[in-house]
Amino acid sequence: MSAMSPSERRLQKELMSLIKDPPPGVTVDAEQAEQNLLQWTIFMEGASGTLYEGERFQLQFKFSNKYPFDSPEVTFVGSNIPVHPHIYSNGHICLSILTDDWSPALSVQSVCLSIVSMLSSCKEKQRPHDNAFYVKTCSKNPKKTKWWYHDDSV
Amino acid sequence: MFRFIASFFTKLIQMMLQVLSSKKHIIHNLLSIYVKTSGGQTVCLDIDPKCDVSHIKKLVAPQINLQPDELKIIFAGKELADDYVIEECDLGQQSILHVVKIKSPKLNEVFRCSTPKANLSPLTESLDYSTFSSEDENTEKPLERKAHFYVYCPNCKGLKQGKLRVRCHFCKSGAFTVHSDPQDWSHVLQPKQITGTCENDPEYCQELLQNCEPTFAEFYFKCSEHVSLGECDQAVPLDLIRPNLRHIPCLACLDVPETMFTFPCQKDHIACLDCFRSYCLSKLLERQFWQHPEHGYTLACPNGCLNSFIREIHHFRLLDDDNYDRYQRFATEEFVLRSGGLLCPQPGCGMGILAEPDCTRITCQQCKYVFCRNCLQGFHIGPCDPVEPSLDAQGNCDVDLNCPVVEDPSRTTIKVITKPCPSCKTPTERDGGCMHMICTRSGCQFHWCWVCQTEWTRECMADHWFA
Ligand SMILES: [Zn+2]
Ligand SMILES: [Zn+2]
Ligand SMILES: [Zn+2]
Ligand SMILES: [Zn+2]
Ligand SMILES: [Zn+2]
Ligand SMILES: [Zn+2]
Ligand SMILES: [Zn+2]
Ligand SMILES: [Zn+2]
Repeated sequence: MSAMSPSERRLQKELMSLIKDPPPGVTVDAEQAEQNLLQWTIFMEGASGTLYEGERFQLQFKFSNKYPFDSPEVTFVGSNIPVHPHIYSNGHICLSILTDDWSPALSVQSVCLSIVSMLSSCKEKQRPHDNAFYVKTCSKNPKKTKWWYHDDSV
Repeated sequence: MFRFIASFFTKLIQMMLQVLSSKKHIIHNLLSIYVKTSGGQTVCLDIDPKCDVSHIKKLVAPQINLQPDELKIIFAGKELADDYVIEECDLGQQSILHVVKIKSPKLNEVFRCSTPKANLSPLTESLDYSTFSSEDENTEKPLERKAHFYVYCPNCKGLKQGKLRVRCHFCKSGAFTVHSDPQDWSHVLQPKQITGTCENDPEYCQELLQNCEPTFAEFYFKCSEHVSLGECDQAVPLDLIRPNLRHIPCLACLDVPETMFTFPCQKDHIACLDCFRSYCLSKLLERQFWQHPEHGYTLACPNGCLNSFIREIHHFRLLDDDNYDRYQRFATEEFVLRSGGLLCPQPGCGMGILAEPDCTRITCQQCKYVFCRNCLQGFHIGPCDPVEPSLDAQGNCDVDLNCPVVEDPSRTTIKVITKPCPSCKTPTERDGGCMHMICTRSGCQFHWCWVCQTEWTRECMADHWFA
């Protein structure tokens, strides 16, 4: 227990609070996360009254040993990737807090809440206009992409 | 056989215990201190830490031909009262006390009466962190808690606990008493905040100042973990490292550390020292430190609070030696770039070069590499080559008479893997398949295209986003 690095200590605490007190519609695969604190799977339900009502999505969080000074790598995985103007069909998410606007004051919980609210405020289900090109050319790691953040009003 | 070994070990352990206890004995019973007179004489004393100040006066007086009641003993900016027990002031081995002759016993009487006894304790003890943090008035003042100052000790080469000391701002004598206690860090770190009386040679100091300003105290810090090397032995105060008296959790690992690094922001953001190190390291490796015009190459609060730059860059001494060297190297490079200079593009060199603005043929003084100022490739005549300069580099080289004839293979490599940021000219390496470069240098962050060596555009994405 005492051999834990600072980032593992932080992740352990975040995991506990996410298990105890998850945001609505969000659940973490606790067993998997406890086995490897550096990679979590989080399930997210489309909120009722939104375009994604009844849908179920799966998010993957990867952390480096510099977390929380370094942002987590967050992607949608699995068979159902939400159709949304800021989400590419390969699961990459264009969300500034995941790169440029990341701060150690944010957490897994706050990232989940931002994604939930990004989905909830969507007015029309569609892929980003450059989806086909991006998916063909991008790096596997979305953090290597130098995003132009799409305008936040969507 | 077993019994022999067992008894051997028992004996050994007993012997070790004896050695340990006798060592402890020595440390506990003898304190070597120096008492310095205003005449420059130094008396060395081995004293029992349980004795009081009047006892020291009795020991010193005969050696300087005075009566004990003609003396006053000054330590850390305060006169020590006669009944003050030495053990209770934080004297280290080889500490220096100052003794001065009472000039006018009558005046001294007045001073004594008007000064409450509490004020006669050494300064270091009366300075407490709870008086420093003014926002939280409900904080219970920890009883008898000694202040903890942290310093970077150039002698021990590390973070150590420090002791606050005071001397005359003008003549630098430690025989100096303050008129009031410093109330916060600004009183201690900025010059001429607290007035006092120089007991060394008051007439001399006042006369030289021609009474146009009072005599001021000057505060400085010593390392508490090595034997004092005399009055010049100083340590750099690391004022942002403090005891975590209000039990604030670390912003990164969320533990509540005993000792914390306080970010200079208004929001109580603190980190444990481990996380502070890891923050510095991750920012350093990405060259994300900021060249601040006053404070130097520094960082701000990781949560992005406004005006939260770390002023005392010695805090980065918390990095290990290799990374502190790297910090200094990056800081120098940043300084050179800010001053309109450039860096040698050779791998492992990186020498800062300040050249005339119109000179394009640059010779590195350190590794003798001759290169073009604009493209940072080997020097060439004619316009810079916008495309990958791999095969024709040799050809260009022949044209330039000053270029070494033999091409160093490492030079060919660097030509392929680094190009200067078109905006700030920092050599940039490309590691992935993408042509979209973003300058990592803080303050630049220019988006540029590896192929075009100009600003990154939608056209670049369409034509050559990746190779
Ligand atoms: Zn030291
Ligand atoms: Zn003086
Ligand atoms: Zn921490
Ligand atoms: Zn802050
Ligand atoms: Zn060089
Ligand atoms: Zn050139
Ligand atoms: Zn740049
Ligand atoms: Zn281009």
